[in-house]
Amino acid sequence: MNVLLAVLWKDLTIELRSRDRVVAMVVFSLLVVMVFHLSLPADTRDTAPGLLWIAYVFAALLGLGRSFSLELENDAVSGIALAPADRGWVFLGKAAANWIILSAVQAVTALVFALVFDLDLMAVAGRLAGVVALSSVGLCAIGTLSAAVAVRTRFREVMLPLLMLPLLWPVLSGAVRATRQLLTSGSLSFEPIQFLIVTDGIYLIVSFLVFEYILDE
Amino acid sequence: MRHLSQPVPHTIPPRALLTSGLVLAALAAVWSALVLTAPVDRMQGVVQKILYVHVPCAFSAYLGFGLTAIAGALYLARNDERFDRLAAAAAEVGVLFCSLNILSGPIWAKATWGHWWAWDPRLTVTLLLWFVYLAYLLLRSFTEGSDRTARFAAVYGILGATAMPLNYFAIDLFGGAAMHPENLERGSLGAGMGWPFAAAIAVGFAAFVHLLLLRVDLAARHTAAELAARERDFAR
Repeated sequence: MNVLLAVLWKDLTIELRSRDRVVAMVVFSLLVVMVFHLSLPADTRDTAPGLLWIAYVFAALLGLGRSFSLELENDAVSGIALAPADRGWVFLGKAAANWIILSAVQAVTALVFALVFDLDLMAVAGRLAGVVALSSVGLCAIGTLSAAVAVRTRFREVMLPLLMLPLLWPVLSGAVRATRQLLTSGSLSFEPIQFLIVTDGIYLIVSFLVFEYILDE
Repeated sequence: MRHLSQPVPHTIPPRALLTSGLVLAALAAVWSALVLTAPVDRMQGVVQKILYVHVPCAFSAYLGFGLTAIAGALYLARNDERFDRLAAAAAEVGVLFCSLNILSGPIWAKATWGHWWAWDPRLTVTLLLWFVYLAYLLLRSFTEGSDRTARFAAVYGILGATAMPLNYFAIDLFGGAAMHPENLERGSLGAGMGWPFAAAIAVGFAAFVHLLLLRVDLAARHTAAELAARERDFAR
């Protein structure tokens, strides 16, 4: 548990001092939203949930890749591997840091998305934030693990999406379903939430258990 | 001269390869005779006979992917590279059968459903499986160092197997209507189609086993050649 907090604190401190990941992710996801606006018809009420999640996944891909390439500099990953605890805690610390950074980016993106596509998100803001936060747990679990693998392969930029996206499918289908319910009817049924909780739990537990074999240097 | 510290690579005995090849050839002969004489479906016509290729490919693909995950987990537990070679071979053969399944499906679908592709639950899950294990093979070829490749691949194979039931649930909860027949007990097979279908499953399984053995043998020879090359360098 201490290792989790230490890794989380370390990653957030680095981010607070440099702010390079958050800035890059926000600018990138805003560009994606602008591209959507330019290339799609004005009435996107039906497609909005999917578009929002595409922007989120693109931003996540950008940030997650950076999360581990940072550790390769000066071979910092060996230092982390020596942490006196199960390496799963290192994974949870990394994933939590990614989740916090991604959440900040998602909040800004949602705001601009609502403005650009003329959506009234204020009525559902709280529940939408909950759905996005819940879905992002699964996204960050799979993303952090995939990033840890991809960063130590050739073509790391290509490998991250190739590894991550097929596994992310259940999370995204639940996330888009819940977001669509909120944006179209303003209400939320329990089914997608239940599914997201189960998926997040399974992905977190499996990633926690196998991370040892990823960081085993 | 072999160093005692180095494990002897485990190739497959030639007799086993020959036996599996002969079994496959014999079953293939029976299969083609049965499929040729099988009754033509009253509704779908001759295109229905693609069943005898499409379904065995799906079974063999699932078998390959399941084996990849299990062998990967065994590799992580035992650290024996034979399991890694088995996992890699099963993934390659599985992707091959899955590709054949995905290619043969649309031909049938166009003739019976009227579309090349439908987002049917079983179709979607199979396509996602194909993507997962294609990524698995790419991961293997882009990772350097045999030990690291084996570990990364094992982890990804396990994650892929974990994602599959989740995909099924996701489609079950949110997905559209099923176009595939539910199962065989509901009488989706017409009279006289049982034996050709059984032969098709047997041929698919025999082809899977034969290709798997060939691929494991090849991987073992590859390892042996690498060890021999290292020993030559060492002696020099």
